[in-house]
Amino acid sequence: MSGYFDELTARLREAGVPASRIAVTVDDLRAYLADSGGDPEEEFGPAAAFAEQLAATAGQAAGEAASGERWTWTADIFTDQQRLNEFGEQGWEVQGIDRLGRFVCTRSEEHPQRWEYRREVVPPAGRDALTERLAPDGWEPCGTWFFYAYYKRPKAALVGPEAEIASPPPQPGRRIFFSPALYGFVVVAFVAAVALGLLSLDMLDRVDDDDSSSSTLFGMLVGALSAIVAVGAIGWAAVLVERRRRRR
Amino acid sequence: MTADRRASWLKGVLDLLVLASLSEGESYGYEIAKTLADAGLGQIKGGTLYPVLNRLEEAGLLATEFRAAERGPGRRYYRLTDEGRRTLEEEGARWLAFDESVRAVLTKGRSR
Repeated sequence: MSGYFDELTARLREAGVPASRIAVTVDDLRAYLADSGGDPEEEFGPAAAFAEQLAATAGQAAGEAASGERWTWTADIFTDQQRLNEFGEQGWEVQGIDRLGRFVCTRSEEHPQRWEYRREVVPPAGRDALTERLAPDGWEPCGTWFFYAYYKRPKAALVGPEAEIASPPPQPGRRIFFSPALYGFVVVAFVAAVALGLLSLDMLDRVDDDDSSSSTLFGMLVGALSAIVAVGAIGWAAVLVERRRRRR
Repeated sequence: MTADRRASWLKGVLDLLVLASLSEGESYGYEIAKTLADAGLGQIKGGTLYPVLNRLEEAGLLATEFRAAERGPGRRYYRLTDEGRRTLEEEGARWLAFDESVRAVLTKGRSR
């Protein structure tokens, strides 16, 4: 593991990322691995490519809050908006979403201010038009994840100097925020997968044993159907949660 | 390096640029940022612009008014106060004098 981080450190140094930023980043990544387990190359991809991406993110963050705190965290789609607004109230500004789907945040040390967030479901081709439509109200894009586009707005756009935080709370100790809805969904998906498996076994019995190509094709169809159902269910559940939240 | 240098220049003069962008009348955050971007100063993000607006408001150089909108939460409009206009005139003149000195030295350096 240390070989991976040694290479990552060297590449980041070559890319001109300040030593203090490299140290914080590598500590973050080590802590993430400690939480999630697993191999760094599997989790983050090749060190060279990952360093390029991190260097770009570090550059963006430096432009906004060079002397600020930095914190990276993640949440599932059932709770991400709620968490974003909770941490936005504490002064955390999302600078981007990394390849692991984590929110890369900074908080100004000199003038921490409150932020608000919204998430929109939009295909990549429609993002520019949506960004243009939201911009006059102060919304700026701050990251994308598949069909989700995230936007941020300084609270100061609405309340002025009151948006500044006199004494922000300390950085949260956790980095992963999964909701009960996600665990419920996993259970439902598991039950559905088992049911589909049993159904396919039952139907396979009816297929001629010697006709292996039919069996293979049938298995592929069931697999594809399961994947489509799972992805569709996640997306639909997220849309329902979002609609319910907006109605409140 | 070039981007860092440019960011430093902007940091030193952004408050004056914001005051100047309001010299012809009131405006709100997005429009101010757009005016500065159209002038070739790059995109000023909300995380940079609003702390400056807040500082100018607290210093009494800007007056604000929140107006509700038919759609959305509404907008906070900014306009120059008399003190803001005076500051723009005085500090703007000092910046231009500084710019002239820098320009003179740089021009002399390039012509050698």
